[in-house]
Amino acid sequence: MPRYVDGNQVRFTVKDRIFLDTEFYSGEKFEALEPRRLFPVSGGNKYIALLDENGNNVAVIRDLDAFPQEEKEKVLSALEEFYNMPRILRFIKMTEKYRIWMWTAETDKGVITFEIRNHLTAVKPLFDGRILIKDANDNRYEIPKFDDLDKKSKKMLFPKL
Amino acid sequence: MDFFSNRPVPEKIRERAERELGGDRAVFAIVGDMDLGGKYNESAMYFTERAILAFDKDLPGGFRRVDFSDLEKTEVKRMYGNALFRVRMKEGGMQDILRFTFSAADIADVAAIYVNTVIEDGFSEEPVEMVYAAYMKQRSFCPKCGRKLPSPEAECINCGGKKKLLSKFAKYVYPARGRLIVCIFLSVFTTAMSLVPPYTTKILVDDVIPGAVNGAEAALHRLALVLCVLLGAYLLQYGVAAVRGYILRCAGDQIVIDLKKDIYYKAQYLPLSFYDKTSTGSVINRVNSDTSTLQAFILRITQEAVVKFFLMIGLAVIMFTMDWRLTLFSFVTIPAVALIGRFFGKRISPKYMRLWRKSSAISTLLADTIPGVRVVKAFTNEEAASAKFSRYCDSWMAEDRKAAATASIFPNIMTFLVSCGTVIIYAVGGGEIIRGQGGLTLGMLVAFVNYAGMFYEPVNFFANLSDSYQNTLASAEKIMDILDAEPESNFGKGKTSDKMDGKIEFKNVNFSFDHSKKVLDNINLTIEPGDIVGIVGTTGSGKSTLINLIMRYYDDYDGEILVDGKNIKDIDMGWYRSQIGFVQQDPMMFRDTVFKNIAYGTPNAHVEQVINAAEIANAHTFIEKLPDAYDTMLGERGVGLSGGERQRVSIARAVMKNPGILIFDEATAAVDSETENLIQTAIERLIRGRTTLMIAHRLSTLRKANKIVVVDKGRIVECGAPDELLKLKGKYYKLVQIQSMNDELISKKREENFE
Repeated sequence: MPRYVDGNQVRFTVKDRIFLDTEFYSGEKFEALEPRRLFPVSGGNKYIALLDENGNNVAVIRDLDAFPQEEKEKVLSALEEFYNMPRILRFIKMTEKYRIWMWTAETDKGVITFEIRNHLTAVKPLFDGRILIKDANDNRYEIPKFDDLDKKSKKMLFPKL
Repeated sequence: MDFFSNRPVPEKIRERAERELGGDRAVFAIVGDMDLGGKYNESAMYFTERAILAFDKDLPGGFRRVDFSDLEKTEVKRMYGNALFRVRMKEGGMQDILRFTFSAADIADVAAIYVNTVIEDGFSEEPVEMVYAAYMKQRSFCPKCGRKLPSPEAECINCGGKKKLLSKFAKYVYPARGRLIVCIFLSVFTTAMSLVPPYTTKILVDDVIPGAVNGAEAALHRLALVLCVLLGAYLLQYGVAAVRGYILRCAGDQIVIDLKKDIYYKAQYLPLSFYDKTSTGSVINRVNSDTSTLQAFILRITQEAVVKFFLMIGLAVIMFTMDWRLTLFSFVTIPAVALIGRFFGKRISPKYMRLWRKSSAISTLLADTIPGVRVVKAFTNEEAASAKFSRYCDSWMAEDRKAAATASIFPNIMTFLVSCGTVIIYAVGGGEIIRGQGGLTLGMLVAFVNYAGMFYEPVNFFANLSDSYQNTLASAEKIMDILDAEPESNFGKGKTSDKMDGKIEFKNVNFSFDHSKKVLDNINLTIEPGDIVGIVGTTGSGKSTLINLIMRYYDDYDGEILVDGKNIKDIDMGWYRSQIGFVQQDPMMFRDTVFKNIAYGTPNAHVEQVINAAEIANAHTFIEKLPDAYDTMLGERGVGLSGGERQRVSIARAVMKNPGILIFDEATAAVDSETENLIQTAIERLIRGRTTLMIAHRLSTLRKANKIVVVDKGRIVECGAPDELLKLKGKYYKLVQIQSMNDELISKKREENFE
């Protein structure tokens, strides 16, 4: 069974942006643990594994939101570096040539153009209203809520849903 | 070799690079699409013979030079949707110098190998060629259409003989053309017959019935004559329609069956990567349901549309001849109908697309749960499975209701507008007759209304055609998804040899399924003919992937795999696979007899050949004890046989091929010790003189191996003779130790239980 940790049991120090030096209040210390979301799509800040350099599980954070703000921010900053799933704010252009689509979108990380080979497998609407997109290079994008998109973007995306 | 880069270098970076390079020669560059802060931005790395020059706005001064002499090693850290190029300095630890999305990750991987090789062995052209090969692979696009190609020399399936959507489907219509043409002629005939009744109505109303005042007998005689004509017209119309219906159905069947056969045939040649992304349920849906939708539409277009078009023209001519003013009045609503039809098409199309997705989700769920019904029952999950199915069905129903609302409202609006035309004819024509103006008679008005009604039918048909057209487009797209998908490449078609000796070489092979994790990392391995090689490692270390690449299930790797000195991509695929016997952990049995399951892949096998193969595989003894012996019909996936029995049938299948290379993927993992011994003896009989690769968790099964390859995290960490590796006291030694302890514990437990 994994070792679950709650907020008052551990202290972190961010190392090389994506690693966490971890010190348990029991005295145990681990260097350069890598936080990984166990449910990157559905889990939010719950269940985050801490892996050592060999990929072995050292501990699992049950609920990051229950951690002290300072510790929570350290973990979030490491996660933010690791996980790149930009939120799409609007679609600028969708062009198609020989059934290969090039979508240009404005995201919270800037404007990007990516390739979609098959929108049936690339676009996945979730039950909670989010839409996940995976491009031809396996990069991921998220639309938090379809209804929040502007009219033009909705018009472009709707036939692909 | 000339300088190359994965993408055009941004102007600003190029100018700065020219300044910073000094006298160094830039060998190649990697252009990134993110900055180190994680935002989309321009960035790049130039690689020279002795340094890396990184350009990123987040680096101090936007630039950093890292000399190979200061470096310990470089690596690419693949994360989630992005990756980092990291350098470990001799002093200063690990540092990041470039961030990029997965679009540059593959070439960055080989660039890291280039740097590490140059650090270790000094600069040479060989590692540059490796990067160049990855670069060429990335830019393998068709110069004509821009479509990505599986290799630089590959023929583009889009341009090479593949035509546009309509012409693609036209090829299915072509074999049925004779029947379809006959049907068109028959349709023209029945349509012509359908024009007779309105005209006879006019004669009845204007001439025959009022004619009774001049003599009832003569009028009755004329009435009988007209009714005979009417009856004859009906008889011919419906008799010919019945014949046409039969011929049309035969033509439709031919179209749909040809289409189904082609989809199934193509599905056999699609690479495994297609099935990794596409559910089997969705493929079944395309073969069954989408082909029928397409068939119905093809018939509508080739038959009804042609006939209705000519009917419309013919009726327009008749109506204009009868009364051109009234005809124009009856056309008033047509522009509105056309506009609404167009609007409707745009509204309904995305709805049909969504409906298809929901329907496909149901098929996928069925394809998952029905074959897995044993698991469902074992976990008493019937209720949950039913609830999930209900949820999917409800979701489909909700979507269908939305589509139905649009599909019901718009056609009826169009029909209503068309009916308004009839009202206009009555208003104008009726008024004229009442006022006694013009030459319009009551019979002409009735006939005109009949013709107008007939005219509105094709108008309605064409107005509603967009509904079935949009529905068909959704299906056609799914079918094209399979028919247009890149098949497994077979560049070496026809290149076979008399015999496969079985020498296997891996040269700098890198592979990842989905960019997020490298599954095989710089694999270099040579296996000599006749070698018996044990491949060991923990679960997920990349052992099976290694085999999958040898089997050519995945071709999208960097580097080269050679068999008998030839790149496996340049050998005829069919011949190549026929030379490899592959025994899997959970062998697939087909719903057929034991005999045919053994002879699978050897269609004309002699009975004795099959019996010999079964004997070699230690399967004959249990088969002959089955009531129907070799005629025993196996259930789905081999139901009726135990795991060990299935395994031995699968070994017999491999014996039938008489292969040059044998591969066993955990062949004894799921059987008891006694069965393991039986299988092991069978394997030992089979592998004599053949290159054999065996993946095994139980190291005892590798007792015949003369070479052991230890795979860990996608890399070969140890390779050599078993005794040599034991002396090394490395990973293999540890695995042996752990397993001996386990075996000891197990035998102790057995003894305890026995006592």
